[in-house]
Amino acid sequence: MSEILNESIVALELGDEAAGGYNPPAASRTWYHYLLLAGAILFAAVSVGFVGTIFWSSLPTWLHHAGTLLGGKGWASPLGPFGGLAMITGTFETSLIALVLAVIVGLGTSIAIVFLIPRRFRNVIATLVELLAAVPSIVYGLWGLLVLAPWMETTVNPWLNSWPFAKAIFGNPGQEFGTSLLLASIVLGIMILPTFVAISREVIAVVPQDLIEASLSLGATRWQVIRGVVLPTAKIGLFGATFLALARATGETVAVALVAGGVANVQFHLLYPGTSIAAWIATEFGESQGNEIAALMALGVLLMLLNFGLSLVSRWLVRRQRRVLALV
Amino acid sequence: MEQEIMTETHSGTAVTASPNRQAIAMQLKDVAVSFNGRTAVRDCTFDVAKNRVTSLIGPSGSGKTTLLRALNRLHDLTSGAKVSGHILLEGTDVYRGDLTVTELRTRVGMVFQRPNPFPTMSIYDNAVSGLRFNGIKKKALLDEAAETSLRAAALWDSVEGRLKVAASNLSGGEQQRLCIARALAMDPEVLLMDEPTSALDPIATLRIEELMTTLKSRVTIIIVTHNMQQAARISDDCAFLLMGEDRAGELIEFDTTEKIFNNPRDPRTLDYTLGRFG
Repeated sequence: MSEILNESIVALELGDEAAGGYNPPAASRTWYHYLLLAGAILFAAVSVGFVGTIFWSSLPTWLHHAGTLLGGKGWASPLGPFGGLAMITGTFETSLIALVLAVIVGLGTSIAIVFLIPRRFRNVIATLVELLAAVPSIVYGLWGLLVLAPWMETTVNPWLNSWPFAKAIFGNPGQEFGTSLLLASIVLGIMILPTFVAISREVIAVVPQDLIEASLSLGATRWQVIRGVVLPTAKIGLFGATFLALARATGETVAVALVAGGVANVQFHLLYPGTSIAAWIATEFGESQGNEIAALMALGVLLMLLNFGLSLVSRWLVRRQRRVLALV
Repeated sequence: MEQEIMTETHSGTAVTASPNRQAIAMQLKDVAVSFNGRTAVRDCTFDVAKNRVTSLIGPSGSGKTTLLRALNRLHDLTSGAKVSGHILLEGTDVYRGDLTVTELRTRVGMVFQRPNPFPTMSIYDNAVSGLRFNGIKKKALLDEAAETSLRAAALWDSVEGRLKVAASNLSGGEQQRLCIARALAMDPEVLLMDEPTSALDPIATLRIEELMTTLKSRVTIIIVTHNMQQAARISDDCAFLLMGEDRAGELIEFDTTEKIFNNPRDPRTLDYTLGRFG
């Protein structure tokens, strides 16, 4: 198992070109050749060591409490049992809702940047999006907690609860301070938006101009060109952007820890507080020991596997998109 | 007919830009295209005769493609592009008349330099894509148009059994013929071709050239080509463009292909067709 992982880490970090390898003739192998080689070996060793120790530390949980971790509901500090179901469901709930929000807003933004906005404003918007990506997540978390949470508490939550139908989905907010799974999803959505826009914009922008001109030449309107030619041509790459944004959302820690409410309950009513794997590890680690450390490490392994999987799928999709464009 | 024109031109009486008395598909009057104030091509005045092949020739930078793209308003996409003069389609000014740009483009089709079928669509979907853009949904109509246009593009026999296959499975030459079929499905009056064989091998090129010759009975063709032999082989009329001192392309001469290649009025035309430059 770990071998596959190591391989994928190396592949992830070095990319395809490096994996293919450039092998200089022996005569030109000077000292820096060996220096670089040593660096690469060191890197591989660190990777192996990193993944290995995480697995090793979580081993007790996997051996004795795997079922509880994956299916148990309560987290009883400090002695256990340590059930991870609330964190796992919380991760998926918040990430998926965030993804839906980010994809809807982000796809519109990308299309607008590439096709609708006049060129001189285009760079301004694109730069703005990239700046948003550079904002540290703690800032998003603080903003969510200090600005969005009070607003949710006083305005949004009562409004959602005023409809019987919405109440069935979102549930009663109780006496919380506006922090909830829904708020975490919204903050996450805003945080992954730049990631999604950055990639989807590029995927859309590289749809060959002559395909766009070909469709215009057949009497297509601009909207028909976008819907009928650009989006279908970019489809696979857009899925790639989606998976990468999802990977970012599942791994996001600090912001979720601040705004999700930090309660380890399996909860599908989104106005209730909850948590995610990453947020739970961050908040619990300080006071944990023994079996709890192993359980948190096991959660970490789960998160790592999830992120590897999503990143690999994303990369595979972007590669396939390139192949589609190469055929054009 | 051909003989008549030649007699007329050889006798030196034809001094107008129109080399024949045939019906006219498009008229260009003093057409110029500029980008951000910089002229790319100018002084283009000639008539495109119906059911003939008109070629635009000239060295790189002479504005052939720029001129061609003005005819179906593809420059509309480019900010800073400006087309002046008049381009008439059956007497209607395509820039100022009451013709919408989408309607114009259904009447003036285009085939591009690189075969560019829509990569996510099947052969069938590519062939009828223009009809779908224009709101036609009836399967019977689409089926008929697909067969007619693929037959017209000499592609039907080789793709009949695999219409649902992705267009990217076709060879380069077949893809280009699919693009021609896609344009023909709209039943256009004029077909603009921008170096349609430059990305193809000699055999595929030959087949496209043969196709153009058969197609001109149903559609007027305007072709940009770098290849003078091609212009001589397939076109009836020919416009020769050249880059002027200020790097803007201009029309040097327009006449029957016969005249341009054998007895041009301008010495520069002769120099170019003899391969002395360009």
